[in-house]
Amino acid sequence: MNYIKLDKTRCKACYLCVDVCPKKLIIKGSQPNSLGHFPVEFKDPDNKCIGCAMCAMRCPDIAITEVVKN
Amino acid sequence: MIKTTEKSVFKLPKSLKAGMKFPFCAGCDHGVAIRLVAEVLDEMNLREKTIAVASIGCSVMLYDYLDTDCVEAPHGRALAAATGVKRTNKDKFVLTYQGDGDFASIGLAESLHAALRGEKVSAICINNTTYGMTGGQAGPTTIMGQITKTSPNGRNEEYYGYPIKIAEQVALCDGTAYSARCSLDSIANIKKTKEAIRKTFEVQLQGLGFGFVEILSTCPTNWHLTPQESHERVRNELFQVYPLGVYKEV
Amino acid sequence: MTKTLTTGNHAIAQAAINAGCDGYFGYPITPQSEIGEFMSKKMQELERAYVCAESEIAAINMVLGACSTGAKAMTSSSSCAVALMQESLSYIAADELPVVLVSVMRAGPGLGYIYPSQGDYNQATIGGGNGDYKIIVLAPSTVQECIDLTYKSFYLAQKYRNPTILLADGLLAQMMEPVEFNEYPYPEISIEDWALTGAKNRDSRAIYSLGPQEDRLVERVETLFNKYKQIEENEVEFEEYQTDNADLIVTCFGSIARNVKSAINQCREKGLKVGMLRPITLYPFPTKKYQELAKTTKKFLTIEMNMGQMVRDVRLAVNGQVPVEFFGKSVGQWLSVEDIAAEIERLNS
Repeated sequence: MNYIKLDKTRCKACYLCVDVCPKKLIIKGSQPNSLGHFPVEFKDPDNKCIGCAMCAMRCPDIAITEVVKN
Repeated sequence: MIKTTEKSVFKLPKSLKAGMKFPFCAGCDHGVAIRLVAEVLDEMNLREKTIAVASIGCSVMLYDYLDTDCVEAPHGRALAAATGVKRTNKDKFVLTYQGDGDFASIGLAESLHAALRGEKVSAICINNTTYGMTGGQAGPTTIMGQITKTSPNGRNEEYYGYPIKIAEQVALCDGTAYSARCSLDSIANIKKTKEAIRKTFEVQLQGLGFGFVEILSTCPTNWHLTPQESHERVRNELFQVYPLGVYKEV
Repeated sequence: MTKTLTTGNHAIAQAAINAGCDGYFGYPITPQSEIGEFMSKKMQELERAYVCAESEIAAINMVLGACSTGAKAMTSSSSCAVALMQESLSYIAADELPVVLVSVMRAGPGLGYIYPSQGDYNQATIGGGNGDYKIIVLAPSTVQECIDLTYKSFYLAQKYRNPTILLADGLLAQMMEPVEFNEYPYPEISIEDWALTGAKNRDSRAIYSLGPQEDRLVERVETLFNKYKQIEENEVEFEEYQTDNADLIVTCFGSIARNVKSAINQCREKGLKVGMLRPITLYPFPTKKYQELAKTTKKFLTIEMNMGQMVRDVRLAVNGQVPVEFFGKSVGQWLSVEDIAAEIERLNS
């Protein structure tokens, strides 16, 4: 199973990662963080993540702190 | 159950300070550029011998992010300070991280003369076509027609003259070993930018001369565009004025 | 030790090399260009850093960069070009870097002329940079002192991690005198705990002046001023000449002191009770010495090759206890022994 680690306290809700995920596994969240932004959420119930790390490469704030591939 | 081997394909670079957070606006490309610099420092094992030179503008607090030694230069003078560092410490790795206003407006003399002298340093210039930190005024790279706080009717020839093409100018200097223009608008271009940064570092280590990369970046706040629209602007408007590519490689 | 006949400019340059200067960065301007010329040859021979900078602004910032790594580095310049360096001097003071700047005064304002002048007392001691900061300023009056005070400039810059200016003028820079090049007499100061040497086996270090948080900026400036207090307590240097029982004390700095001394000798022969106090450190200023002498003398006469700059510091020090007169000329007008003696006699009559 591939997955990403998300630090929601770092997310500024630019949503650039939402667009680059080829499997559309990152969505705009509905719960605000301490910055007042609505950070993204990673939803992968069907284990579709391919561990490409494009979301982490795109994120300007290193809110995606780790990408793990098996 | 079969135990699989987990492998990290992305991690916080060691050359960034643990726990640091970028203070940039949402969607600003500065964070990506600094992370790429840190990744290349890690991969080339340069952190411990690096002395970075910070500049003035949104780029200023480099020392809060990079876990390397760092000195701040007055506005525009990063490459003069870098020259002083390198000439008295030839065994150290010296890099500057500057904006286009710092590098190509107030610091144009220092920047081009460092290139002309062939200083063995690496310079990274973030070009976002505006003065970001002061609130989005017209800068040396503001393109024709661009509306900013100080070009309310758009940049025109009569009042502002023309923008500077930095990578091309640096490439004209005999002391330059590498000069390229990259962009952070897409994953493919982020990867190319990382390779250009690596090349910029390599020419210093090989003693070939001045290494330079200009990185087209966004300023969503002052462009009054979303982060997504900002990258579209880079592709649709800036690529025509500032074509990507390697302008010099010795 | 054998004596060598040399100019002030060459004396300063050779002394800087003897002091272990690792890097010279400069841009030519009369009357100090010979320092850069001398350095271009010697530094390359010694394989030390030398750069023909593209401007004085670049030169001082190269020194900033070099000094941030703990290197001993310097630049030299003059008047209107030292003006260009003021922004960086403020950064350097805030960064606490051991920068040495040799400032060889020419006449001003503006481009002025290359005649000797002392018109940059204010520029050196008060400065044109922004914010609260102080620069150590040493003023030689002989070519021998150009050597001794160049040594001291490097020492004090390192000891206090503070920019230090050697304030000479075109007369001293261009004249030849027999001098002794003694060895650099001061201990080397460790740079281990602050210099940028690469973050190996220690935490990374940063040298910067931006203070985003108010408290931190206040604390930083207070730390600086505690250091300045130490400098003021420990480093005051001056020359006293025939001040015992003097009714009139002539006070001056730099090259003009040579003529003042001769004038005092002439006046003493005529029975006038006159002496001289010459600050060698313009910052820290010998305020306490003035206050002490103000108790016994009747009057001070400040003589400068300008329209009256140091006289303000003398008046602040004397604080109204006795009158402080001024005699001076600007734009490179040399004050002869006769001019000075006549002024002393006029004030005594």
